[in-house]
Amino acid sequence: MPAIRVAALPSRLVNLVEDLRRKEDRLALLLSLVIGALVGLVVVAFILLTGRLAALIYPAGGAGWRRVLTPTLGALLSGYLLFKYFPLARGSGIPQTRAALFIHDGRISLRSVVGKFICCGISLASGIPLGREGPAVYIGSGLASAIAQRLGLTRVQVRSLIPVGGAAALSAAFNTPIAAILFSLEEIIGDLHAPVLGSVVIASATAWMVLHRVLGDSPLFHVAPYHLVSAGELGVYVVLGIVGGLTSVAFVKLLLWLRAQFARMPRASLWIQPVAGGLTVGILGFFVPQVLGVGYDQVERVLNGDVILKVVVVLAVLKIIATSVAYASGNAGGIFGPSLFIGSMIGATVGAVAHLVFPASTAGPGAYALVGMGAAFAGIVRTPLTSVIMIFELTRDYTIIVPLMISNLIAFYISQKLQKVPIYEALAHQDGLHLPTRVGAQLGVQRVSSAIREAPPSFSPDTTIGEAAERVKDSSLESWPVADELGLVGMVRTRHIESAMKKGRDDMTIARLMQVARKSDGARYRELPHVHNDQPLSRALARMGDTGHNVLPVVSRANARIMLGVVTLTDILKAYGVERAEELDYTDHPDL
Amino acid sequence: MKTPVIPAPPTPAASISEFIATFAVILAAVVGLVLFDTALARIDSRERKVSAAREFAAGEQLVAEGKNDQAIEHLRSASTLDGENTRYATALADAVLADGRPKDAELLLVPLLERNGTDGAANLTMARVLVKEGKIAEAKSYYHRAIYELWPRGAEDNRTTARFELIDLLASTDARQELLAELLPIQDDSTNSLAQRKRIAHLFVVAGSPSRAVTIFRDVLRHDAKDADAYIGLAEAALSLGDFATAKADLVAAQKLSPQDSSSIQARISVTDSVIALDPTQRGLSLGEQYRRSRYLVQLTLASVRKCLGTQAPDVAAALNSAGASLVASAAAASQSQSIDQTLLLAEQLWALRRGRCAAERPDGALALVQNRITQ
Repeated sequence: MPAIRVAALPSRLVNLVEDLRRKEDRLALLLSLVIGALVGLVVVAFILLTGRLAALIYPAGGAGWRRVLTPTLGALLSGYLLFKYFPLARGSGIPQTRAALFIHDGRISLRSVVGKFICCGISLASGIPLGREGPAVYIGSGLASAIAQRLGLTRVQVRSLIPVGGAAALSAAFNTPIAAILFSLEEIIGDLHAPVLGSVVIASATAWMVLHRVLGDSPLFHVAPYHLVSAGELGVYVVLGIVGGLTSVAFVKLLLWLRAQFARMPRASLWIQPVAGGLTVGILGFFVPQVLGVGYDQVERVLNGDVILKVVVVLAVLKIIATSVAYASGNAGGIFGPSLFIGSMIGATVGAVAHLVFPASTAGPGAYALVGMGAAFAGIVRTPLTSVIMIFELTRDYTIIVPLMISNLIAFYISQKLQKVPIYEALAHQDGLHLPTRVGAQLGVQRVSSAIREAPPSFSPDTTIGEAAERVKDSSLESWPVADELGLVGMVRTRHIESAMKKGRDDMTIARLMQVARKSDGARYRELPHVHNDQPLSRALARMGDTGHNVLPVVSRANARIMLGVVTLTDILKAYGVERAEELDYTDHPDL
Repeated sequence: MKTPVIPAPPTPAASISEFIATFAVILAAVVGLVLFDTALARIDSRERKVSAAREFAAGEQLVAEGKNDQAIEHLRSASTLDGENTRYATALADAVLADGRPKDAELLLVPLLERNGTDGAANLTMARVLVKEGKIAEAKSYYHRAIYELWPRGAEDNRTTARFELIDLLASTDARQELLAELLPIQDDSTNSLAQRKRIAHLFVVAGSPSRAVTIFRDVLRHDAKDADAYIGLAEAALSLGDFATAKADLVAAQKLSPQDSSSIQARISVTDSVIALDPTQRGLSLGEQYRRSRYLVQLTLASVRKCLGTQAPDVAAALNSAGASLVASAAAASQSQSIDQTLLLAEQLWALRRGRCAAERPDGALALVQNRITQ
């Protein structure tokens, strides 16, 4: 990039830029807008170019051999480019984006972004049945990262722009700005309360506006409004949730298994492996042309009730096979789009059967196709919130939300039970990456409940020091609960009791001792130090540090004077798998 | 005391010149991409529209040949390729409706009307769909919208088509008041053809306003005194008005003007003759003849009621027995004129009973025409 001489610039501009560089929030705002616009335009160009290329490759009324040859050649070309020049552009793009975020400090090279653009363009235009959304997320995040690196932003700033670019890309690729925000937070970052929320929202909205400016105001699918015909129909949506969940699991397992098989092949065959996917797709496409490409036209037809039972069943099965082989063999493209296709066909199948059996009390199959899309997405991608909002945004139909939520949650639950590791995480594992996950993070948080122990007998405020000293002398407990007839009133330290005993204050009451302790503790004194069962152990540790008590009562959230048990420092350390230094056994240490 | 120092946030490592250069490049890229994307989108849109038009033409051709199932494929492609063109979507809904799938057609039309409720064609198709589904009240509403909303081309013709479809629907559902309300605005429309005027006049008879029909038919005859249809229409109106003699005269005149339709006109003349022979209220009849005809009328009405209701229902059986007894009792009544009045009242009551419980008798049947005359 040519350097600009600062002296040649107007001083106001220099001051403005200086000011901008100093103020982090203003810079973040500006970058969100810029990234939103740029990514939106790049993704729109990606969609249009892929579409134009596909139209050229597959002219109307083209011969059948074209459908076999084109995906095979497309896979060969993109496979070679991926192997030789852009190894990081393989696959969907979501796991790679997360890897960049969590492992590489948000760094994505511009080269891999260009590679993703070119290889996915070739792959998708040639009819490989993978989605454009995952690659778009990678391209968007990559552009954001490249800009941030070029500006010399800090590691934290570069990382924070990854979800910003991802959201902008998804917003433009799918025409779903809210779902894009949620997906960025739910899947990419894994935290719905991430501090980058504002930037993500701005970028998503900007990209969406760009999309509308260029392509007009039209949803991805024009769908007839559906509604519940009868309350009993909810039962059919439950069945759809189950079928959607099971299908999702089958798809994910097949894809992962196939990918593992391809991974076992010699590394030298990496460039030719995508051809296996291309050829499989070509052969299937020869007999059933609808298998080729992402198939959104077919989805729209099904959503509008153009359903022939046999056709949708065949399409669902063939798409699962074609997508699994194409992805597993290393073609560039995502599983976002295919999961919607599979879901709509599964939904249409369930809907068509239900409508055949209960014509008067069920809606047409189109309604089920719509809900099926969400169910499959929730089951495969495992972002239930995103999937509900996404279907709503895709169709702009609010009436289907309740059945959608029911089916989604059932599919999500079944998928979670039968396929423990979510697909993007499993794909990363296959690549040797162990990325933090939302679920993992939640499971990783240890709660106070995991270290709670039964409370020792409480002292009454009227107990004398003499009596108390007798009880504490054989115990290692460093603090003791004090309770009256209404419940817990505080904690008293063993060392304070022992100290008072040494000073001959046998007749002093515990209540009086606590008053003395209040004075001696000063600012550290807390009226009733406690923790709750559901709080993280880290909070208990912090509370112990604040109050100086190594034992804290665990109390009810409804009434803090009801003691459920106690938690001790030793128990917390044990729960974390750490023993206290004095309890460690060094006898086997080679240096001793 | 030492004042705590808050560390300043780190400034970007790039120099100001690099910073400005980066943003300049991004700006240039954005401008370039806007131009590139817009051009590409235009080309894409144009080609999609061309393809959609081709598919639409093929679909229309197949519709004209009655191959609706094949036409639907093409029209659906047209609609998918150019989703903004409501004409394609409406044509698709029309074809789906013609294929006997009104529910599916409705699903296609609802989003269309949500996007643009003023689309006359979509409203007309929706009205047709609702008629097929038996939702008459809703259909009427959509017909009204089709009449008063926007038509990008052929507005007058399309509105007339919609209005006449609505009129036919109202006539077939015996909604006389609404029918009259629809007919009145177009009664004096100068753009109506002769055939349309005669049709309107006929519908006035159906709507229970035969005098308006007479005016129109006479006007038609003023322009063409040899219009046999106008004479038949006049006869129809005269029958409705209870002027049976005039009706017969008009029918005879029509028969003379249109000998090729002689048999159908003759059938009408026969009915008119039956009516004339049955009508007890005709002028110039002796009391005895009036009495005989009124009793015969009751017997015919009773037979018609029995035929349609049977005597299974106890309340109906009781009513019919009571009617039979009245007929015997009236024979022994004091004066013949009193007896005629009572008999006619009984006939009227029986007819009302029949009307409430049975399917409508043919309106141009002799019994119905005489009963209609009595109730006037």
